[in-house]
Amino acid sequence: MRETRLWTWHLLAIPVIFVLLGLHFAVQHYAPVFYGVSVEEARSFEAMIERGKDMTQFVLYILLLIAGLYHGLYGTRGIIRELPLSPTLAKIVDWGILLVGIAIFALGTYVTWWTFSHPGA
Amino acid sequence: MADTKLITFKVRRYDPDKDTAPHWEEHKLNVHDGMTVLEALHEIKAEQAPTLAWRSSCRMGVCGSCGMFINELPMLACQTQVLHLNTDVVTVAPLPNYDNVKDLVPNLEPLIEKHAAIKPFIIHTNSKEIDEPTGEFIQSVEQRDEYSQFTFCIKCGLCLAACPTVATDPLFLGPQALAQAYRYTVDSRDCGLQERLVALDAFHGPYQCHMAGACSQACPKGVDPAFGIQMLKRTLVLDSIGFGKKESQVSKVMPLADVVKQIEEFAPPPRTVTK
Repeated sequence: MRETRLWTWHLLAIPVIFVLLGLHFAVQHYAPVFYGVSVEEARSFEAMIERGKDMTQFVLYILLLIAGLYHGLYGTRGIIRELPLSPTLAKIVDWGILLVGIAIFALGTYVTWWTFSHPGA
Repeated sequence: MADTKLITFKVRRYDPDKDTAPHWEEHKLNVHDGMTVLEALHEIKAEQAPTLAWRSSCRMGVCGSCGMFINELPMLACQTQVLHLNTDVVTVAPLPNYDNVKDLVPNLEPLIEKHAAIKPFIIHTNSKEIDEPTGEFIQSVEQRDEYSQFTFCIKCGLCLAACPTVATDPLFLGPQALAQAYRYTVDSRDCGLQERLVALDAFHGPYQCHMAGACSQACPKGVDPAFGIQMLKRTLVLDSIGFGKKESQVSKVMPLADVVKQIEEFAPPPRTVTK
């Protein structure tokens, strides 16, 4: 059930992104509404570092990274693979997308980890 | 004689032996009320263009042979009345998304190959019963209703001509094959989903459908392939997480003696007209 599983995860990523991106927006962009602090204050380097040291936030951001990357890259693969490609080229696209995903995931995880382990401002 | 109207037919012509590219030919014809595009083509061929080629047979929307691109829409020529098009100029071209054999004749081989790929027949685990039947597989009306509309498919290929995904991805199985895959998979007598997965659980399977719905609009028999594809996706997902068809949901064999007995016991409805 290869393609069926890939497609199911693609769909399941939607509610995950919806919830986690909602939390991200609540914390960063709607801070005056939910936390009573100004947007500038919520987005300041010090505030980011402070929040980033929270284990829950660390885990949720990694999950958002996985869900967003998977959903976006599976969709991109679908668009590219719809072009009339040879089987070899189709395989190159699949592996290329996978490698790009791994690279972006590694970078995103590094940044999140750097924030999590930062000694503070 | 009924009133007639002068209509200009722009017919796309292509002879691979003579032409390097298709070209358009104009023919004027007096069309009477009720005349179909197919009848008009017959008159044009008889009086103006004797070499014009197309494919047709039954003339009553059953065989599915005369699919054409009429005024930029895939339709059966035998089911399309010229005056119902409400235009003075009617364009007739071969179905898009297929190779052009000659004039209005499309090469329907991809349609047949994709249809064959999904194994469009009942596959049962009890192969002995299939080869040497001892009775009949019993199916309720509700079970039959689940796939009934998809049996109306006449393999005319209009849905593939209308499909925007087939236009960009020729390997996409397409609405006809996918709707038929659902038709057989959901049939209570069938246990063949695993055998069909080779074709269905692949990139060019149902997940490439963009849900444009053009296939359902084009179908001359009122089949809704777009719905069938979405239902097929659901069936595949449920099967992948272990909620597929259970053995208990597969039709049981009723011995022939019991079938005969049931027919004999069947009482016809009371007469509504007296002798």
